[in-house]
Amino acid sequence: MWNTWLMHRIGRITLLATLTLCVPAWAQWLNYPTPGIPRLPDGKPNLAAPVPRAADGHPDLSGIWRPERAPCAPLGIAACGEFANMGARLQGGLPYQPWAAALVKKRTADLGKDDPVAWCKPSGALRLLTFPLYRKIIQTPAVTVLLSERDVTYRQIMTDGRPLPDDPSPNWNGYSVGKWQGDVLVVESNGFRDGTWLDRNGSPMMEGAKMTERFRRTNYGNLEIEVTVDDPKTYTTPWTVRLRQVLVTDTEMLDYFCNDNERDSAHAVGK
Amino acid sequence: MRSGSSVAGRLFAIAALLAMPLAAQWLNYPTSGIPKTPSGLPNLGAPAPRTADGHPDLSGIWEADHNIPCPPIGCWDMRASPQFFDISTEIKGGLPLQPGAAALRQERVASNGKDDHETKCLPSGVPRMHLHPTFRKIVQSPQLMLMLLERNASYRQIFLDGRPLPEDPQPTWNGYSTGRWEGDTLVVETNGLRDGMWLDRSGTPITDAARVTERFRRVNYGNMEIEVTVKDPQAYKAPWTTTIKQFIVLNTELLDYICLENEKDRSHFK
Repeated sequence: MWNTWLMHRIGRITLLATLTLCVPAWAQWLNYPTPGIPRLPDGKPNLAAPVPRAADGHPDLSGIWRPERAPCAPLGIAACGEFANMGARLQGGLPYQPWAAALVKKRTADLGKDDPVAWCKPSGALRLLTFPLYRKIIQTPAVTVLLSERDVTYRQIMTDGRPLPDDPSPNWNGYSVGKWQGDVLVVESNGFRDGTWLDRNGSPMMEGAKMTERFRRTNYGNLEIEVTVDDPKTYTTPWTVRLRQVLVTDTEMLDYFCNDNERDSAHAVGK
Repeated sequence: MRSGSSVAGRLFAIAALLAMPLAAQWLNYPTSGIPKTPSGLPNLGAPAPRTADGHPDLSGIWEADHNIPCPPIGCWDMRASPQFFDISTEIKGGLPLQPGAAALRQERVASNGKDDHETKCLPSGVPRMHLHPTFRKIVQSPQLMLMLLERNASYRQIFLDGRPLPEDPQPTWNGYSTGRWEGDTLVVETNGLRDGMWLDRSGTPITDAARVTERFRRVNYGNMEIEVTVKDPQAYKAPWTTTIKQFIVLNTELLDYICLENEKDRSHFK
C-alpha cells in the first residue's frame, strides 16, 4: 500500500520536473497558479496575509491543505506525528481503557495488518485529517465539503442548521454539522462505525463516539483544527489534539485510488 | 454487490419513519427551498433555480432516469437506466465502433463483464457515473462544480474558473473537466481519461484519446438533461451523442456506499 502511495508522490514530483522542461507552466494543473490568492512582490503566495472571507462574512476555509510536517519515527513516512499515533504530542499519549491499550499493543505487534486503510477501506473523518495526501475544502453557505486525494473521497459538513441524526446508520465518516462561533467553525459529529482505526498504531474508536472539531484559519496560509474525541467506551476521558494544516498553492488535487493495481494487501501478513 | 448498502439504508429510512420524528434522520430530512404546488406537493415543473450570478443552479441530489423502456433482452431487477447496461440504447443505428473496439466489446459481453472495473470496486469514470443507480449530489459554486457520488463516497471536480484543459495530462478515471456557460447550458469538456474504461455494463469502450463533452441543462426544477458527446477516434469512426436524463431526489441525503466493504462477489466471477 505505502509503496503504491510513494509511487504516487514520486510520480507527482517526476511529472512536475518533466513538465517544467517541455510545456508552459499553466498548461498543467499540477502547477496551475491558484487564482485570487494574495501574492508578494516576487509572485510567491503571501501566506501571512489575512484570512479570506466568504460573502456572508465568515472566514473562508476553502483551499488545498496538507498537514504540518511532524517529527518522524525511524520507520519513515508512514510513521509521522498523529498519522502514526494520534496521541503523539499528548503527554502520556491517548488515555486508553485497558482493553483498548491491549488492542493497540496487539495491532502494533501484528504490524497493522488488519488496518482498514491497508485494505483500501475508508480511513474515517478524523484520520483523513492526518493523511500526508492533500485535502481540499470547498465552503458554501449550506455545506462545507472536504475532498481527500486519498481514494478521491469526500466528507460533508452540513451548515444548514439541521440537527445531528438521533440514531444514525453508522458509517466511516459519521454525520457532521457545523456552526460558526465567531471566526471558528465548530463541527459536531456522531454516527461513526465500530472498529475504525484512528492512526497507524490502531488506536480504536467505537460506535457511540462523539467528535468536536474547531476549524480556525489563523491567517491565509494556516488552519488549525482542534479535535476533541469523547468515546467513553474506549478512552478513560475525552482528549483533544491540535492538527495544524498548511495551505498548498499553485497545484491541484491528483486522484489516488488505493484499490487501483493494488498488490500490497496479499503481503500484509503480520509477523 | 452494488446496491446492498443503499437499499439497506432506505429500508432503514422506513424503519426510522415508524420510530422517530421525521427531522431526526437525514434520509428523510426535508430539502430546503422546494417550490410547491397549491396542494403542497413539490412542483417539479417549476423553473430551474438560479445562483446569485444569474446562472442556472444545478445543485441538488440527482438520480438517473430509470423509467425509459427496457432493451430487447428484457428488464433488470435493479432500478437502473437501460443506458447503464448499454449506453447506446437511445442511439439510432447503434455506435459507430471501429472494428477493434467492436471485437473488444463483444469479448467483454461474452465474458459476462467479469473484467468490468466497477465489479472490482474501481471508479465508474466519466460519463458512466451519471448512469449508476446510486445518487449523485451537485454542489455548484461560481469557480467549481462538485459532483459527490454515493458510490464509493467519491467525487469529481468540474472547474469553472476559466483554466484551459491540461495539454498532456496524467490519465485518471474522471479525467480533467472544465465548464463554461453557453446561455443556460453548462458545457463541460473532459480529457485525460485513462485507457480501457467501460462506459456501461456491456463494455462499450473508451480510450485515453477520448474527448468527452457534456452539456448540462436543468430543464426545470425536477429534471436535468446531460447531452454527452464522445469523440474518440481510436474507438469510434465518428463522434456520437446520447442524452442522459436525471431526476431530482428530494427530502433525503447521500448515504455512503463503499463497494469494498464486505465485498464477497469478485471471487465468483469467471
